[in-house]
Amino acid sequence: MRGRNFWYSTFVLCSLLVAFPTAAEDPKPTPSNTISIKLENEVKPQTFSRPLKFFVEKVVDRSSNPQPMLVYKPRGGVFLDRQPTEVVQQALQETLQKSGLLADKRESADYLLTVYLFHFGLDSGSGLEFFGKVDLNVVVKAVISGKSQEVTALGTSIQGAAVRKKNILKNIEANIEEALEAALRNFLRGTKLRDAVASPDEAQSASPHASVIPPREIPSSLRFGVSEFAELHTGGDNYA
Amino acid sequence: MRKGCLLLVAVFLLTNWSSAKDQPKFKSVEVKHFPNAEGVELPPEFSDFLYAELRATLQKKNLTEQLVGEDEVVDAADAPKSVVLEGSVLEYKKGSLVKEKLIGFGAGWRSLTAHVKLTRRSDNQILLDKDLKVRASSQWNPKTLAKFLANSIAGELKHESE
Repeated sequence: MRGRNFWYSTFVLCSLLVAFPTAAEDPKPTPSNTISIKLENEVKPQTFSRPLKFFVEKVVDRSSNPQPMLVYKPRGGVFLDRQPTEVVQQALQETLQKSGLLADKRESADYLLTVYLFHFGLDSGSGLEFFGKVDLNVVVKAVISGKSQEVTALGTSIQGAAVRKKNILKNIEANIEEALEAALRNFLRGTKLRDAVASPDEAQSASPHASVIPPREIPSSLRFGVSEFAELHTGGDNYA
Repeated sequence: MRKGCLLLVAVFLLTNWSSAKDQPKFKSVEVKHFPNAEGVELPPEFSDFLYAELRATLQKKNLTEQLVGEDEVVDAADAPKSVVLEGSVLEYKKGSLVKEKLIGFGAGWRSLTAHVKLTRRSDNQILLDKDLKVRASSQWNPKTLAKFLANSIAGELKHESE
């Protein structure tokens, strides 16, 4: 009985010894080590040939990061003040609103956006700098046709490493902001989004006459190929 | 009086020359990801890091007015002065610490060979098409090669633009 107690107490003691240093190493969020990510510069989306409205349905975290708010672990850690999904949703909605592309409600939107967040924060670099990365996968769903298309967007940023804690916070904040801005620009100015919103299938369903009239009945002067149709939609002012 | 005039002219010319030199040659540069050739064993995040490093280096060296993300649209008016930078990693040698320690003189260093192509956006004219090789100590992180490669590419672009 005594022996069993001995082994039990040894096990508990060892567990405590292992658990306490780990708990001491884990950084905790405090006002001094928390940063707030906001877009500093306005992201200007590409011009679409017809007026479009987007609605951000949801942002889903797919990073499989157990601590998404902890962006930097050493030196007491650096934390985000909100979940990355909230940061991305707010930034995307603000950008769309400023450009007049945001729908007030789901019903009035032409396209529904579901954002899958694969990476938000710092990634491993060469060790001499902070490497910020925001990796998005946006599913653009046409409300009329119900057709979905995936658009990927990546934003990166590299900032110099710092020694002082104050500078570490400043550099990481600037780094993630720049990466987020680049990712949103990549999405909103990307040819993939342009193709997703100007796909011929969607245009066909939007104008039912196109599917009714057989191709041979259309005069050759009025026939359009896919590329010509795309050119017509973009107005020829953008180069891919 | 004459000397003063000459000095003024010289200062004016120098100012003009330096301001012309400071202006970036390209209106926009689109950097694309460098895919790895078959058999190249690099960390999976290397491609993103090289992409980020290239963007940061081109911006730092003031080679372009604006950096365009991959597959982003560019205004037609800017197309003649816009370029696309693409390439691929052809070869990567891990290096050998033993060789480096025993022989020295750069033996056993890591090396990376990449093919780089610079194309003008408006007419698809190839402005640069060559293989570049960079080397670093085998004790260093393989990602430092991305840093060296980005610097090497920026140097080539600078020569190209002169």
